Amino acid sequence: MKKLSLVSLLVFLVVMAILPHLLDTRWQTVAVTFLVFSVVALSQDIVLGKAGMFNMGQAMFFGMGAYVTAILNSHFGWPIVATVPVAIVAPVLLGIVLAAPIVHLRGDYLLVVTIGFNIVFVQVLINNLGGVTGGPNGIFGIDPLRLFGFELSSQVAIYYYAFAVLLLTLAIMINLDKSKVGRALHYLREDPLAAESIGINTRLYKIFAFGLGAGIAGLAGSVFATQYSAVSPEAFEFIQSVLFFSIVLVGGSSIPGVLIGVFVMFVLPEIFREFSTWRFFVFGFAMILTMILRPRGIWPATFGKIPKFLIKEPKNGG
Amino acid sequence: MADNELILTDVTKRFGGLTAVDALSMKVSSGQIYGVIGPNGAGKTTVFNCITGIYKSEEGSVRWRGEEIRGMTPYQIVARGIVRTFQTIRLFSQMSVAENIMSGRHIKSSQGWWHGICPTPGSRRDEKENWMKVGELLEFFNLEEFAATPTMSLPYGLQRRVEMARALAVDPTLLILDEPAAGLNDNETAELVDTIFSIRQKGITVLLIEHDMELVMKVTDYLTVLNFGKKIAEGTPEEIQKNPLVIEAYLGSEDEDDE
Ligand SMILES: Nc1ncnc2c1ncn2[C@@H]1O[C@H](COP(=O)(O)OP(=O)(O)OP(=O)(O)O)[C@@H](O)[C@H]1O
Ligand SMILES: [Mg+2]
Repeated sequence: MKKLSLVSLLVFLVVMAILPHLLDTRWQTVAVTFLVFSVVALSQDIVLGKAGMFNMGQAMFFGMGAYVTAILNSHFGWPIVATVPVAIVAPVLLGIVLAAPIVHLRGDYLLVVTIGFNIVFVQVLINNLGGVTGGPNGIFGIDPLRLFGFELSSQVAIYYYAFAVLLLTLAIMINLDKSKVGRALHYLREDPLAAESIGINTRLYKIFAFGLGAGIAGLAGSVFATQYSAVSPEAFEFIQSVLFFSIVLVGGSSIPGVLIGVFVMFVLPEIFREFSTWRFFVFGFAMILTMILRPRGIWPATFGKIPKFLIKEPKNGG
Repeated sequence: MADNELILTDVTKRFGGLTAVDALSMKVSSGQIYGVIGPNGAGKTTVFNCITGIYKSEEGSVRWRGEEIRGMTPYQIVARGIVRTFQTIRLFSQMSVAENIMSGRHIKSSQGWWHGICPTPGSRRDEKENWMKVGELLEFFNLEEFAATPTMSLPYGLQRRVEMARALAVDPTLLILDEPAAGLNDNETAELVDTIFSIRQKGITVLLIEHDMELVMKVTDYLTVLNFGKKIAEGTPEEIQKNPLVIEAYLGSEDEDDE
């Protein structure tokens, strides 16, 4: 299983690295969307899959990153590169501030509260609070990304920008699993009382998960705004959060599972565009069937990530 | 040495109208194996929950090394060297034996939250050292062949061992065991006795609840007997065995719940 994961990850990375050169512009756009939504889904996996918190508001952090880049660029004339750190830090801070009073809530209550946050967020955008969000139409004409004097405005350039962000996210996910904090999230998901009784400050790590997830989603949002050079509220509605939530569960909260989930939810519908009225019908059923037939997801997360030197053969053939 | 003392004074814990622990005072000294016994529902587990911060007693004080720990959270109490196991085993059931034991190294690890995002040579070394420690505990508890096995697929006796290994991974000063022999067969119970003695050998004080009287009489130095939340006797195992109040309390309930 471990070998299989590693091989499939490598194949995936190689394919993704050459992909844009095999596609026309329309499909390049779809590919960028896949990358960006994969990053958001992985950030949701940190909160929901690893820490086990029922967060139904991840689209809010995604949207916040997008709007930070859009507002700072179009209203304040910041170059896109300069907006990126703010598009990460602002959602992190919002995530921490919002999570602190609610992380002790039981799963179902947390779910309702985060839905509420997401709805309030979209209302703030639509009602143009502070006069900077552009109301229901959002913000247009965001500059392209400029790096080292190059203007990265083609879909291929944006593709590689988004790909770099996905690689960074994957690196964080992999590091997390080999660290004290990453394990702490697994422990508190499995049994919060046992985790607390073995010395883990569960509240702190729950807030950490929210903050980290929010920062990664914010970065994805910034890429998203750059890709379309526009942002508008409906892209960050609560229904988007529902999709990210479902992707983690249907995928099985592993990296391959989440990527397959994003592919099924966002890329397949594009491929089956002709059947547009039918596609969501089919996907709805696919979701239902997956959860019934494979309750732990398409590609369930596996544990046992322990160093090799600890794995010993059973003694005396027993 | 003498500083590692746990002193409970008039600890009272109520659940609605029920007084589960009633003005209990007791003193566990450094290096002791201290037993708490009593019939079912006497309030033993509740006392442990009050010591380890799962409950906060309404009245009284819990002092550990001279410091008031009543009202602290469980993880703050673990940080002070007190760690426990549960009467109903609470392992991280989907995770492997090694990962479960590794959870005990959490407070000993020097890694910060940022190392989860970006590892450094220092954090990798820390990671390695803690896994080595897990390796030692796997060996001590004879669990090496199960290192990668999810704990939910292990038999009861092994799960109890994993839970003890996890607690010891903290390098505690005081180890609290809630019915460590429950569900064990005779062989496993005999091994448990050896294990408890060798834990004490390491300089760790042990406080335990147990229904298996044979085991209690064999391992403990000193006992407190609870009934209906109140202390009805304390003393050495020999003294307790002869105490008429204790005999009466046990005769009243022994037959019904001899598990
Ligand atoms: N969380 C709780 N809420 C309400 N009542 C409780 C709670 N925990 C324990 N009790 C009650 O407090 C009393 C003492 O329970 P406790 O679990 O401490 O007994 P015990 O001595 O450990 O018994 P056993 O030998 O069966 O484990 C019992 O009457 C029990 O029903
Ligand atoms: Mg009990």
